[in-house]
Amino acid sequence: MIPEAIEPRRALIGEYVLGLLEEPEASEVRELIAHDREAARMALEWEQHLLELADELPPQTPSLVLWERVQQSLGWTPASQATTADGFSGWWNSLGLWRLTSGALALLVLFSWLPGVLRDAPSSASFTAVLQVPGESAKPGWVVTVDGDGTLNLQSLVADQIPANQSVQFWTLIDPKDGPRSLGLIEPGKGTTLSAEQIGAVQAGQLFELTLEPEGGSPLNRPTGPVLYIGRAVLIASN
Amino acid sequence: MADSEFDYEGTLEACARGDKGAFQRLYQREAGQMLGLAITLLGRRDQAEDCLHDALVKVWHNADRFDRSLGQGRAWIYSILRYRALNQLRSRGRLVDTDDGFIEQMADDSAQAEDIASDQSEGRELRRCLRQLERPRRHPILLAFYRGLTHEQIASRLTTPLGTIKGRIRAGLRALQECLQA
Repeated sequence: MIPEAIEPRRALIGEYVLGLLEEPEASEVRELIAHDREAARMALEWEQHLLELADELPPQTPSLVLWERVQQSLGWTPASQATTADGFSGWWNSLGLWRLTSGALALLVLFSWLPGVLRDAPSSASFTAVLQVPGESAKPGWVVTVDGDGTLNLQSLVADQIPANQSVQFWTLIDPKDGPRSLGLIEPGKGTTLSAEQIGAVQAGQLFELTLEPEGGSPLNRPTGPVLYIGRAVLIASN
Repeated sequence: MADSEFDYEGTLEACARGDKGAFQRLYQREAGQMLGLAITLLGRRDQAEDCLHDALVKVWHNADRFDRSLGQGRAWIYSILRYRALNQLRSRGRLVDTDDGFIEQMADDSAQAEDIASDQSEGRELRRCLRQLERPRRHPILLAFYRGLTHEQIASRLTTPLGTIKGRIRAGLRALQECLQA
């Protein structure tokens, strides 16, 4: 039963917003919020107050592939276009772009009037990185290659056994002051391919590493477990 | 962190008109904070990213249902995120082992005069009001928000009878709303 009086009703809606009500009460309140503007207002008011608690938490950088996934789910970038040769959409979707400051963005917009500049600039170099067990240069485990299109390929040279309750996570670090960025979880022994849009522009010296994390990946915005393999990108060809 | 300069309502209305650039700006502005909350609730980064993905897709598709006369845009976005995260938690039915240190800390965080003053000046109404609750009422509310626990789960986590927990939460929420409306 939903109380008629305003204060008990507001408190009940608070319990609903916190996810504490069980059926059938939860459905009753859900219906009420859907049809009664005052109830909907009360629910959003609770949500607004609770934002203060959400804002106590440190933000976490989403992995580079998330925006790509969202766009694909919205039908904005069909999978076939993931490594599009179309200069403009490739540029626009490039996650590397997002790391640019607004000043650099303005400069890019300016340059975009010059034909060919953006099409060729970020995508003519290829790189490789051999990821080794830290401190043991004779133990290569994985090879990263980035081709001229900017597509990254991660290949395994080893078949490591990982405990069932742990995961291997792939990271890159361009600038230590930005911190590492997650490139997602990796199946031990299996490679992966990431498009140029997912990985962003690669630079010589860029660090790649695989770390052992709790099942499902690091709960933080950075690696929490031991480094399994690590290596830096080396320029192997440049136009 | 909320950015008072960012126009969440206008951005959602632009999304409703199909403005992809507005959605992209919203992503850049808010995805990090949303992911922080989803990881705290779900305990796993991969599931949190799935949850964030689903919530963002929903935000875009339902943007036309946002109504600024009912409340603020940022609250609406988080209501979608939290609803999905809670559903994910309930369907999983299993709790992750989590470090609740920061929740304990906040639960212990009783009102000090200088905190109340700084909360008030920075508009942190909920923090100020939470601090005025006694710990046994504050703690279960924090566990519900940050871990998405049900009454039963909170009762077993705090080894307190279920009826007592239900009563404390209800009383705590009433005291909170009195303080917030004051």
